[in-house]
Amino acid sequence: MDDFACPRCRTTKFQNPSLKMMVNVCGHGLCESCVDLLFLKGSGSCPDCKIPLRRNNFRVQLFEDASVEKEVDIRKRVLRDFNKKEEDFATLNEYNDYLEEIETIIYNLTNNIDVINTNKRIEQYKKDNRELIQKNKGRLGREEYELEELLEIEKQMNVARKHEILLEETETKKKRIKRKEALIDELMFSNSDAKNIVESFAQQAKEEEEEEINKPLPTKITKFSSGIEFGRQSQITFLPVPTDDGPLYCYTPVVFDPDGPSPPVNEEVVQNGFMNHIRCETEQERAGGFKTNIACLRALQESMMGLYHTSRKLIV
Amino acid sequence: MFPTSSQCKYWMFSSEDELNLLREKANNKHIQLYGKGMNDPWKGDFFLTPDEEQVMVKKYEIHLRDFCKRFLPPMPRCVIGTSFHYFKRFYIKNSVMNYHPKEIMVTCIYLACKVEEFNVSIQQFVANIKGDREKAADIILNNELLLMEQLNFHLAIHNPFRPVEGLLIDIKTRGSLHDPERLRQGTEQFLERVFLTDAILLYAPSQVALAAILHAASKLQENLDSYVTDVLFGKDGKNRLAVLIDAVRAIRSMEKTADNTPDKTYIRTLEKKLEKCRNLENNPDSEIYKKKMQALLDEDDDLYNAITVQNQQKNDSALSMKVPSSP
Repeated sequence: MDDFACPRCRTTKFQNPSLKMMVNVCGHGLCESCVDLLFLKGSGSCPDCKIPLRRNNFRVQLFEDASVEKEVDIRKRVLRDFNKKEEDFATLNEYNDYLEEIETIIYNLTNNIDVINTNKRIEQYKKDNRELIQKNKGRLGREEYELEELLEIEKQMNVARKHEILLEETETKKKRIKRKEALIDELMFSNSDAKNIVESFAQQAKEEEEEEINKPLPTKITKFSSGIEFGRQSQITFLPVPTDDGPLYCYTPVVFDPDGPSPPVNEEVVQNGFMNHIRCETEQERAGGFKTNIACLRALQESMMGLYHTSRKLIV
Repeated sequence: MFPTSSQCKYWMFSSEDELNLLREKANNKHIQLYGKGMNDPWKGDFFLTPDEEQVMVKKYEIHLRDFCKRFLPPMPRCVIGTSFHYFKRFYIKNSVMNYHPKEIMVTCIYLACKVEEFNVSIQQFVANIKGDREKAADIILNNELLLMEQLNFHLAIHNPFRPVEGLLIDIKTRGSLHDPERLRQGTEQFLERVFLTDAILLYAPSQVALAAILHAASKLQENLDSYVTDVLFGKDGKNRLAVLIDAVRAIRSMEKTADNTPDKTYIRTLEKKLEKCRNLENNPDSEIYKKKMQALLDEDDDLYNAITVQNQQKNDSALSMKVPSSP
């Protein structure tokens, strides 16, 4: 974009940071000041292609490539007439063919291919489908109208809510003033102790305030402004997979039954000199976690496990 | 953990009688299956009796031991112990006539090498076998799965070798014997012979180990009785001592029978008899066996072909599938 310049006055973005490129239906760009200069009378011809243009058709260029702007313009124009919806077709394929046709027309117009024939095609289409085009335009209008209606309702509701809040505030203010007056009256005319009166009034005020807090909150809004209910999507989501909650797992400690005399435990092996009678582990073995006491313990355990073994199985 | 092992649960038997009964059953089953249409005297002449089967098993057990001793690279003892277990377990449930012990023996050793993490490739393994090595490799690999299946995939074996080490450590630490290392030679000899008996199917490995050590001690005119009764069993084991004494006595008496090798000429006649009556379906030299293997191969091929044809059809139908044209 930096080296982008107006094709007429050669002003670049660098020279004039506020440079604004404008574009018209032909797709040729011009800077804002040039547009002001050339189209002083409201209409003129494009300096590039000499097509007659109107000043109020100039728009700010959104895309770097001016031809894209041209395409957008053409598309807008074409779609104004080619406004059929999917529901207007019997099958999906027909609709797809129709879309294909639109794209061909737009492409042809943008790239100046067979412009005359293409325009003829558009005219033919318009003639053939005049009724439908009008109807669809109306339909579009109705949709827009409905949306507007919704917005209007929302606005009204907002106003009503504001009014309510205001009303509530004045109400509480009035109450407070009334209470104060009552207190002063009481103090003025009553014979009882001033302290008691103040206290009882303070308590009353507190209770009232609490009551207000406990008032039910206004009903929750369950609709979007568009009229779609909250959480509507949740109806589509799947139900959670039912989990079969069986009885809870209960841990039972593993009981070690050696079926023989109980072998010495690790501390005994280390302390009572069992390890003096076995080869010490090498460095590599220690790195792998094979320590002497473990090997010694295993040998001792295996030598004692099963010493009580008897086969009580009967001969089949 | 021997008390929780599959060895303790499924492969410990109460007595030699029970074992012999099971073996007889296997023998009878085989004869009934393959002796249809034979009269009883003929059956008796043709098939091996349970006793004769036992002799053959024994012969091949000795063969197994010698083979393992000569094996190169030298194999650890636990491999030998494990192969003995596999071999014995296999012939509790199967008849010698159905599967030839020569083939099962090498398969047992090969499987034991794997289980006990003694890493030899099949080429290295068959290099120890005389004769047609390729055929031997085929036999071993074909029988391996069968063997595991017959063992119910109970492959972990508790051998008495580690318990011997544990007992020696304990004797050195808590016993009063002078130089317990002297016991080692006698113990090893005893263990080697005990594997030729049924003791390993009847008694726990620790009991076998203790019997071996006591045997070695008595040979050296030493007495370890006080160690066993006072130190090893102590206070809590007093009433269990009788069980152990019986077990040790039984193991030692069984070990004495280990030397009863049958007569060589008798074995030769049995070999000839076995060659005649063995199940041809499992004899790699027989036509039936070759046909069966070929059929298996063909079956695989057929299956493969069927699958490819199916896939081809699927592909064809997918490619020629017509996109529904718009009306």
